[in-house]
This record gives sequence, C-alpha cells and structure tokens, in this order.
Amino acid sequence: MADSDPSAASPPVSSSSATDTASPPMLCAACAGATASWSSPPQWSDSSPPPAYRPIRSPAINAPTATASIVLAPVPQPLPVPPAEPPYRFEIPSKRISSPDDIRRFHSSEAGRHFVGFVATLSSSVRGRKLSDPIPSPLPAPLSGLLSLLHTLALWIDEIPPLPHASRYGNPAYRSWHARLTDEGHSLVVALFPPSDELHPAADELLPYLLDSFGNAYRIDYGTGHETNFAAFLYCLARLGLVKEDDYPALVLRVFATYLDLMRRLQITYSLEPAGSHGVWGLDDYHFLPFIFGSAQLIDHKYMKPKSIHNQDILDNFSNDYMYLACVAFVKKVKKGVFAEHSPMLDDISGVPNWSKVNSGMLKMYKAEVLEKVPIMQHFLFGSLIKCRVENLAKLN
Amino acid sequence: MIRGKRGREEIGWRRSRGTGEMSDLDRQIEQLKRCEPLKESEVKALCLKAMEILVEESNVQRVDAPVTVRSPLMDPFFSAFPPFPSAISLPRNVCSVLVRLPPICSEICGDIHGQFYDMKELFKVGGDCPKTNYLFLGDFVDRGFYSVETFLLLLALKVRYPDRITLIRGNHESRQITQVYGFYDECLRKYGSVNVWRYCTDIFDYLSLSALIENKIFSVHGGLSPAITTLDQIRTIDRKQEVPHDGAMCDLLWSDPEDVDGWGLSPRGAGYLFGGNVVTSFNHSNNIDYICRAHQLVMEGYKWMFNNQIVTVWSAPNYCYRCGNVAAILVLDENLNQQFTVFEAAPHESRGVPSKKPAPDYFL
Repeated sequence: MADSDPSAASPPVSSSSATDTASPPMLCAACAGATASWSSPPQWSDSSPPPAYRPIRSPAINAPTATASIVLAPVPQPLPVPPAEPPYRFEIPSKRISSPDDIRRFHSSEAGRHFVGFVATLSSSVRGRKLSDPIPSPLPAPLSGLLSLLHTLALWIDEIPPLPHASRYGNPAYRSWHARLTDEGHSLVVALFPPSDELHPAADELLPYLLDSFGNAYRIDYGTGHETNFAAFLYCLARLGLVKEDDYPALVLRVFATYLDLMRRLQITYSLEPAGSHGVWGLDDYHFLPFIFGSAQLIDHKYMKPKSIHNQDILDNFSNDYMYLACVAFVKKVKKGVFAEHSPMLDDISGVPNWSKVNSGMLKMYKAEVLEKVPIMQHFLFGSLIKCRVENLAKLN
Repeated sequence: MIRGKRGREEIGWRRSRGTGEMSDLDRQIEQLKRCEPLKESEVKALCLKAMEILVEESNVQRVDAPVTVRSPLMDPFFSAFPPFPSAISLPRNVCSVLVRLPPICSEICGDIHGQFYDMKELFKVGGDCPKTNYLFLGDFVDRGFYSVETFLLLLALKVRYPDRITLIRGNHESRQITQVYGFYDECLRKYGSVNVWRYCTDIFDYLSLSALIENKIFSVHGGLSPAITTLDQIRTIDRKQEVPHDGAMCDLLWSDPEDVDGWGLSPRGAGYLFGGNVVTSFNHSNNIDYICRAHQLVMEGYKWMFNNQIVTVWSAPNYCYRCGNVAAILVLDENLNQQFTVFEAAPHESRGVPSKKPAPDYFL
C-alpha cells in the first residue's frame, strides 16, 4: 500500500551509538570480508515516540453479518444535549478506548447516548432545508465566531502553499499548516467565548478536539475519526450552552458546510491521504456526516429521489443547496471510471426508495461503522464534557 | 460483464484432457477471466489445492527468468500439463525441462489492489500466463472493487500453472489489514458471509515471502529488515502465520527505501526505512544485482533508487480511481536485461459494469 509517503516524514535516525554492539557484523557472502557498516535500527525513545497511529493493532470489530440484527437495530434518535452545570472541572481530554469492551461501555454510557443523539438532532434540524435557506440574522456570537475561525484556517491555506513534492499523497506543507493551528488554536478557541467569561478554562479541554478535527499532521491524513472529533467539538460547545438547539440549523447549514468546504480545500491542496479507508467499500474516502445531514435535507423533496444522484443535471444545479448532492458531485469530479465500481455503496444506496430511509440508514451505519469501530474510536477523546464513566463499568459487569 | 470477441490468446487458455472437454479448473479460469466470481464451494476447493502447492515453496522462491515459449510451439507442451491435481504429481524437474525451451522473457508486477480490469490490461501488454512467466509482488487485494476476482484468478493460474506464475505476499495479504481496507467488506457484500474471506486469508499465510530470479534479482513486497543480512535467514522464517506486528517477516512486507543513513523509523508504524548503504551491503553480501520491490505508489510506474540498486514497480494504474498514475511491469529477457512496460488504466468501455446490488442492510 502506498499509504503514507515516507519522504514526507522526518523520522529521527539514531546515530551510531551504544546500541550498535548488539548488531552482528556484516560479512560478505562471497569473500567473508566486512562490508559497509551503518547505524543500527533506531529504538523508540521519549524524544521520538512511536507514531500515535498504530496501524491496525487491534482487530476490527467484525461487521455484523446477520441482516436481521442490522435491520432491527434502532435508528439513533434525537436527544437534547444535557447542559454542563457549574462547578466546572475542566480537564485535558485523553484517549480511553482500546477494545470492543470499551466501545460497548461508551455506547451504554450517558456520554455515548447523548453524543449519538446530538448527531441525530443536528440531522433532524435540517430536514427539508436548503443550504441557501435564510438563517436568523445576525448569527449568535458563538456561531459567527466559529465561521470566522474556519475562515482564518482557510486563509492559512493560501499563506502556506504546497511544497514541490513527488508523491501523490501527503504534502509536507500540511505539517506547517497544522503547526500553525497548534500554535494559535488556543486563542482561536478562547475567541469563541463571551469576553471575561467563566468558561475560559474550558479552552484547554476543547482545544484537543479542535486540533484533531482537520487530520493528522504526522501521517498527513484525514478520515471519519477526525470528522467525528469536529462533531465532538461542537457537542462540547452545546454542552457549555454556547450553541443552543435553535441554532442547530445554522450550525449545520453554515458552520458544518463551511467546515466541509475547508476540508475539501485541505484534502486537495495537501493531498491528504484517506485515513483507514475501506477503499471502494467505504461510503466515501473522507466523510460521513454530510451524507447524514445531506439526506435529511432531501427528505420529502418534491421530485429529487435517491436515484437522482445519477442525473448530472441535478448534481450541477442543486449541489449548492444540498450537501448530499455536493458530496456525490465531488466524488464524480475526483474519481475516474465507472461510478458503480469506484463508489459501489453510494450506487447501491441510490436504489433506496426514499430519502427518509437513506437518512435513517446513514444514522445506523454511522453508529455501527464509525462510532463502534475500535480503529477509529481509539483516538476519541474523553474529558469532563464527554465523560468516560468508569462507574458504569461496575454497573455493567 | 464484457463479452468481447474471444482473442487468440484466450483460445490458448483452453486446455483439453483429450476428451475435448475443459477441466473444472480451466472452466473456472475462463469464468474468472470474464470477472465472474466462483461459488463459495469452488473457492474452498481452489484454496485447498493452492495450499498444497504453496506449502512446498521456499520463503525465497526460486524463479528462472527466461521461461517463455512461442505460442504455436506452446500448445503441445501445455497439453502435457494436465490440470491439477495430476500436475503436481509430475516431478518439478520434468516441468522445468518441458518449459525451458526457447526463452523470451519473464515479467515482474507490483501492487494490483483489486483493480481487475487494469490487471487484464496488464496481461494484455505483458502477454497471457502461461505463455509469459509472471512474478507478482503481493497486494492483490483491498481498496479496489474486484479483489475477490483478482486474487482468485491469480490463484487459479497458480494452481493450473504452478511453475509459470509466482505469487508472493504483500502487507495487505493479512487478516487484520483486509478488515480495514476493503477486502473483508467486499467478501461480505458479494457472498453475504465471510467464509470466502476466511478461505482467502488462510491461503495468504502460505504465500512465499520473496523470490530470487536467476540468483541475481531479489524480489520482495516491501524491503529489507535489520534482522536479515542473508537470504538464508529469510529461508529459516516460519512464514505460515498472520503477518506479525514486527520482526523480520513484518519488515520484508512493510519496509521502504528512503534517503536515510542506515535505518530509520517508518511513518507507516510497521517495518523500517532503509538507506542506500543498507542496500549496497545487502546486495553485495548476497551477490545479487539489485532488489525489485513494490509497496509504494510511483506516478511513473517504476522508480530506481540508490544508483540502480533497488527498483520500485507499481502495477495499479490510476490507483484508487483518482491518483492519475501510470503503471508498469518489469520485463526480463533470458540475459536478465530489463525493460519496463508502462500501461494505463483500462478504458471506460472495456470495464464491466458491476451488477446492481440491493442497498446495504442498514437501509432496508
């Protein structure tokens, strides 16, 4: 696999050192003379820890193969976000999931149910709404703050052009872009809060979610796990009361749509590799949420049906208004070949009779294929706002 | 499905057993060449036969480079090659005598990744097996739409012409990797169960780890390992297992050449980066001319490094349907002179259209 481009990485190479003594001398097979020597393989150290990404260390959860269990699985339902109550105990969030058991615990916890419920609420908030539909104006401060945050990040792309680089994937200039995000992220998050607000300490808890929302600088990749982190970032803002349920349509149709535009630019400019992609058997190389929100937008549409994605005129004329169509149009733009071959999932889903069914299927699939997958969720972060409830463990067992 | 005019080379595939009827295996090869997958029971039987052949192969499988006969001469010889299982009852040296006639060339291919119609393009530019002797460097599956058909066709050819095609293991020929990068999902989607995935991943454990062409060209999917200095050390690996997370076997399938001094950490999280001095020393110690490997996308299809001591060959054109790269195979003549044949993705009109499937269960 030509996943990551090694030349893009600058892994530390140890100098010849004491560890050399362990390596056997290299003798020539023909003349038995010593041949060229070189540094011994480097060891992982504190200054050069192993990549945070462990490529497939834990077995993926086997996809459920029993049709009945998938069909009968409940569709995730909208759930109001429980407001975080003072006294706050903000903390730096950390990774807590490393096994299928941890996943089960997460989904039976309050945090798990409410996070899925939040995504379902966002989805139902844009039912039948177009991207161009009027939004209450002026936007509430946190939302316009989010938009200007995303615009700032987009401006940096212009300021940090891709480097001349041979490989198709992973332009190292992305690391500079991400380093700038790391440097300025904290002040960007603080800017979302009302001035002199008691919530300022929350910036430390929110920042890691934001930093993980746009891809991984080491591997120069992006996938549904990063997208989920952005949703978690928004969920934390909702828990803090900065985003209210009335704001959800604008949150999806303005903020998330702008995030999607930004991600497209990052993906193309820096050739981000699809992270953990299932190849043609995934829904999309990079995204999932726009298919949920986009299918909700199209529910009960007068004439556009799921099969309308095959109509290029419809894609051309309505991609500006409907996220789902924009996603299909993007796939058709970047991929060459037979649609049913490079995107069989989207092709098969186009046979579903109505958008409501597409939307409920997308929600079920998102939970099963993203939120219940260890390789993705092992990177998910838990803090005081999205709590990993250890006490639930005891109850369960 | 494409039903074109049956080309001359395709007629060459039909082997009779005197009765004028095709054997099951020949019929299956014909079927797979039309990109029609086998039944689950057929996959199981094919994998069992393949296992018997692959288990005999060395971790450093010997490949004799010049082993191609022109087609008119070819047929009588290959009629003498009864299909499996009698084929393996022929002593191997007899097979070698039979095929080692007027040599033309043999060909080395890199990653395929389930791009079936592009592999057909490869056979079109490279010549059909068994007329051309093939060495495939692994990564047959994952990412593309037709991993099942691609791997089964290669495996059926292996069973039918064990001495005319060599398959070695890539990092994607693994249970863990295929669960993430598509092959698992594909089997589930095409067969409704994971049995075919189980049969195939079981056979992955038997694939050889490397090949040595005329004692001069060392071929491996990824690259070198700090735990390996001689080919004999590779020969002692017990390979019949899932690809481990570290160690020699893992490194052979995961490492990449890179402009580093000695060894570097791999950003892939498995295997190592190895520099030009490592390659120089390995080639010298083992008295080989150069290393031929795959594993990394190369936009031009192939790429020499370190003063022609190692070459990367990539055989999946327009990788992932979006990279816009060309693909290449390395053609060797009887004197090991190299030539690269570059090819592009199969044109739209020659790609079959996958049959429409019901939507995934989530949408029922």
